[in-house]
Amino acid sequence: MKKVMLLTIFAALMMISSAAVAQTATGTLTVTATVNGSIQLVFNSDAAGVALSSGAGTNTATLAFGNVSAFGAISAGIVRSTTASNFTVSSAVDVQVAKANSASANYTLKAQLGAADAVNTWTVGGVAVTNAAQSTLTATGAYAANSNFPVAITVPFTTASGTLISNTINYTATAN
Amino acid sequence: MLKNYISNMRGAALAALMLCGTSLVAQTTATGVINGSLVNKNGISIQFDTDPTGVTLGAAGTNAATANFGAVSAFGPLSGGVTRPSVTAANFTVRTIFDVQVIQGGLTSTTYTLTANLAAAAPTGMNYKVDAITLTTAAQTIQVNGAYSTAIPHNLDLVVSTAAPGAGGPAVGTPITTTINFTATAN
Repeated sequence: MKKVMLLTIFAALMMISSAAVAQTATGTLTVTATVNGSIQLVFNSDAAGVALSSGAGTNTATLAFGNVSAFGAISAGIVRSTTASNFTVSSAVDVQVAKANSASANYTLKAQLGAADAVNTWTVGGVAVTNAAQSTLTATGAYAANSNFPVAITVPFTTASGTLISNTINYTATAN
Repeated sequence: MLKNYISNMRGAALAALMLCGTSLVAQTTATGVINGSLVNKNGISIQFDTDPTGVTLGAAGTNAATANFGAVSAFGPLSGGVTRPSVTAANFTVRTIFDVQVIQGGLTSTTYTLTANLAAAAPTGMNYKVDAITLTTAAQTIQVNGAYSTAIPHNLDLVVSTAAPGAGGPAVGTPITTTINFTATAN
């Protein structure tokens, strides 16, 4: 019995000894980052308008009206108005601007055509846009919300049937 | 008197001859013995290495390295070696990858356990993760079966609140520095 006790104590001491000499190594990694405020603009399809054919949820989207005419059938999501000399087709398009690490309360949104169009008239959110200069669509845009800025094209009756009308609209959102 | 003088002279001559003899034989060989001994101490070491896909570490190859993410933002450009795995309304995550290499000698241990902790509380609006494990000032286990002598990559995530400064978000436009302590323990 005494021997067993002694062996037990010896074994326990061995275990304590083993634990006491557990080998460790330490190191430090110093991590540095500089956080900057930023904003992001994306286009979303508006439920009332033509669905964006590509790029919804990104900042590079495509809006395809398809075939349009002054008096014929018109695709869903397109609003048309006609005068004696031209017709206008319009589709709702949502713009959403998000901010991060910024105390900005709102943003200014501007738009500009990528190329001149001497024939047709373009408007965004009811504001005429050309390639000559940026047009201000709003100076108090609300962050993190879909804001509808309808894209409209006014086409003269003199335009030949089958003519493809295409242009790029460049948007710029600036934090106020 | 003369007898004493002669005796002294003989003694001096004998001493001179003996000195001469000693000098002559000293030039032939010289020997020495050094009894060298060493005690082979076991131990392990840890070092941080630059991962090919991550940012270049400062002082790579040592146990006191630096990782600089540079400018980070929810939507803007990032430095090379930094990715942005997620952006939500509440926060965004930027990630880099660094390697940890643990070397052992004289141990029977085949693996090690790696733990990490923040040296101080995380700055406002910032959270730090290693391999998806959120770090605090208490040690968190990162890996329990690390292989020795292998550069093992680990994800280092910075989860940054998108809130504005003063509203729960981090300071902007100024470097935010945090130290992470790592401990490797032989299993």
